[in-house]
Amino acid sequence: MQPLLNVENLVKRYDGKRLVALQDELSALDGVSFSLFPATTLAVVGESGSGKSTLALCLACLEPPTAGCIWLEGKNLVALGEAERRKVRPQIQLIFQDPANSLNPRWNVLEILTEPLRLQGKFNSEGIERRASCLLEQVGLSMHIATRSPAELSGGQRQRLAIARALAPGPKLLILDEALSALDCSVQAQIANLLMELQTSLGMTYLFITHDLAMGVHIADEIAVMHQGRIVELGPAEKIVTSPHHEMTRQLLAATPSIAQATRLAREP
Amino acid sequence: MRYFLRRLGHAFLMLIGVSLLSFFFTTLAPGNYLDEMRLDPQIAPETLAALRAQYQLDQPLPVRYVSWLNSLIHGKMGFSFAYNSPVAPLLMVRARNTLLLTIIATLFAWGLALPLGVWSAEHLGRLPDRLLSWGTAVGLVLPDLALALGLLLLAVKTGWLPPGGMVSVDFESFSLLHKLGDLLQHMILPVAALVLSSLPLLVRHVRAAVADVLGAPFLVAAKGHGIPKRRLLYHYALRAAANPLISLFGFSVGTLLSGSLLVEVVMSWPGLGPFLLEAILARDLYVVIGGVLLSTLFLLGGNFLADVFLYWADPRIRKENGAG
Amino acid sequence: MTRRVLTRWLIVLLGLHGLVVCAGFFSPYNPAEQDRNHVYLPPQLLHLVDPTGHLHFRPFVYPWKLRPDTPDLREEDTAHPLPLRFFVNGAHYRLLGVFPARLHLFGGEDTRICLLGTDAYGRDQFSRFLYGGQISLLAGFLGAALTLLLGTLVGSVAGYFGGLIDDALMRFAELFLALPWLYLLFALRAFLPLAVSPLKAFFLIIGVIGAVGWARPGRLIRGVVLSAKERDFVRAARGFGATDRYLLWNHVLPETRGVILTQAAILIPQFVLAEMTLSFLGLGVPEPVPSWGNLLSNLQQYSVLVSYWWMYLPALLMVPFFLGYLGLASSLQERTETYMIERRSLGGVT
Repeated sequence: MQPLLNVENLVKRYDGKRLVALQDELSALDGVSFSLFPATTLAVVGESGSGKSTLALCLACLEPPTAGCIWLEGKNLVALGEAERRKVRPQIQLIFQDPANSLNPRWNVLEILTEPLRLQGKFNSEGIERRASCLLEQVGLSMHIATRSPAELSGGQRQRLAIARALAPGPKLLILDEALSALDCSVQAQIANLLMELQTSLGMTYLFITHDLAMGVHIADEIAVMHQGRIVELGPAEKIVTSPHHEMTRQLLAATPSIAQATRLAREP
Repeated sequence: MRYFLRRLGHAFLMLIGVSLLSFFFTTLAPGNYLDEMRLDPQIAPETLAALRAQYQLDQPLPVRYVSWLNSLIHGKMGFSFAYNSPVAPLLMVRARNTLLLTIIATLFAWGLALPLGVWSAEHLGRLPDRLLSWGTAVGLVLPDLALALGLLLLAVKTGWLPPGGMVSVDFESFSLLHKLGDLLQHMILPVAALVLSSLPLLVRHVRAAVADVLGAPFLVAAKGHGIPKRRLLYHYALRAAANPLISLFGFSVGTLLSGSLLVEVVMSWPGLGPFLLEAILARDLYVVIGGVLLSTLFLLGGNFLADVFLYWADPRIRKENGAG
Repeated sequence: MTRRVLTRWLIVLLGLHGLVVCAGFFSPYNPAEQDRNHVYLPPQLLHLVDPTGHLHFRPFVYPWKLRPDTPDLREEDTAHPLPLRFFVNGAHYRLLGVFPARLHLFGGEDTRICLLGTDAYGRDQFSRFLYGGQISLLAGFLGAALTLLLGTLVGSVAGYFGGLIDDALMRFAELFLALPWLYLLFALRAFLPLAVSPLKAFFLIIGVIGAVGWARPGRLIRGVVLSAKERDFVRAARGFGATDRYLLWNHVLPETRGVILTQAAILIPQFVLAEMTLSFLGLGVPEPVPSWGNLLSNLQQYSVLVSYWWMYLPALLMVPFFLGYLGLASSLQERTETYMIERRSLGGVT
């Protein structure tokens, strides 16, 4: 099978006047490579500052990488001009950590949800409405909330809305950047289940970025551990848990009591 | 030291920028002093042409700018058509009078604003604070022009103070002490107008800044240590509130300079205000440019003073730039 | 709470501006109508009680007559009270500049009633005050609109695109901030023609006033744009394939609304003052068109100041307008601040 996404030696350096680069010559991404197959989930796990969010922004074509290639179905996204990149962006959708910040607080639910549809300009107003209610249904919401503002929704509802909106342009890849971290525990589980359902029904491909290894293991087929802008370990989820090679992975494992316990139990039959 | 050099360099660049900008604007001006002369049938066209050449009005902008810079270096700042003399000496007399007014008004305004603002913050929400808030609100909504005219009206009606001017007619015959007294008497009205017009805003900012820090934990702790109230307010609180107030100082210099321009015209104080107005009406361009540049210099001077205060008051800046 | 205060100030301002906008109706006379026989009449007080102590429900005034033993001092002629008539037909005017009308709120029967007295040409000061407000307030409005347009343009381009453009624009703004504003106003005015028609002068003044003030709001707006463009919903919309223009217009600029409204409430009265100052100094809209600055410029003559103190009254009548704007600006500021705080607490989960 052909990979959907192929990342080769991706490098991102923040230089000069950016506030982010207080430590000079620090690479946010320092040669990242991996492949992602359709209808699978790759979890990128790492501590804060390991370059996960930069990776998300680069893949979503929201930040230009310094070097390297991003192949999406055989097309190198890095080499594209701004006008072409704009056309590619809808195919890779990003879901942010905090939906309160990623939904425009001045707009109501329907306006927020239909923004990608209106931007695509493929639908008439009737079609947009139909598609909107269809999208809301997919994420377990209904049109009753169409005229509410995001501030009037619960955290879980907001993240569902964000997911529905990300599905609207019909993306091939969904990048979830700490998409569950800002939610309560029970809501996290609901959203995680929703994501898995959507994967089955739509054949969606996920890049799941998290600092929480347990969540990564729960949701992903493969796990990539990131440390200081590099992927230090990459492999199937169960293998990473049972036989970690890199020090970073072990630290992350140790910091996740539920898995640590589970693996200890697995080793001592 | 590097901090001050950098600030000075910045100020110098600003002056260059403002002079370039004003020269650029002169090219947009649809007339000049000689156009007004042309209307006078007694002046021969040849004389006009000669004057044009003399004032280099037939030269392109860069040439004029360079020759103006040259005359600036020689202390002339160009040539006044109306006075037929170099601009600098003309301006200097007026600028001195304006500065006299502005500096004294600045001192009085801040000298009053600090205790009033601290007093108001100390009684936050209680009667003295409310009264003062109302007072500052009245001051804020009374236009500068109305204030100056009102004071003048008061002076005229009561006869307590001389209505405008800088000195009496027979000033030259006075003794030294009498001269000083006469000058002071003439100064009361314009200084009062300037102080009253800028005071409300200053008091409000001082009050806000001090009230802000009064709730800070370190001040509550200091109070607990039994530090006397006066020392607490003026030594600790005012110092902690200094930063925004110092930047306000730079701003207040600009407001006072603008205010002074108007007050001078209303009260016929022989400063830059009436002089510039006259120059505008006569299209005496180099005088206008000179006046504008001088005002920029004064404002930058005020800002530089604010930088010095900031350096003195804020240890962080001293540290960042190396002590001295 | 802030909302109610805001509404209250808005109503006050609306009422005051209504007086000025419908100046034709509220003022009894044409502001240019001269009466050389009655120059420098003192203001006529409205009375309700006559000398015999009787209360009248219709207000009345006394006409001025010369005191028998003096050449120019006047006293009230209590023998001939002039009752005020309401909704009288008088001078023709165009309401809102369009609808021809001649109905006035009040007027005298056959003698003119000048509540604020008359000027050197015997023109009614009250009518001139209301009509003058049209010029001054409109200049303030249009000047503020121009300034905010320039400021928003510069601020949003600088903040959104950043880099070299940002640096260049902000340095340029600093040049404008390096000048005390009245000097800047003078300088710009100095380089423009002096003797022009009132209409041309009016637009000239607006241009000058508008060009003076853009730097400060420009910098404020740049700050808002700078933080707005880093917000996740802007990133998300870019991810849907939005263009820069779409993002600026639909997501970034709406964020600046609070700042722009507050700035407008601060700038309008400032620019009314600027127009007044220019007209007062003879650099603004020329006579016979009334403007608030022109009204006060009479006071530059010493003789007027000494003998005709009531020429100062318009200065006091302007105060409610400035008070209204001050109230509006501070309640708008408060609202924007609380809004920002709410937003921050909503967005600050981590």
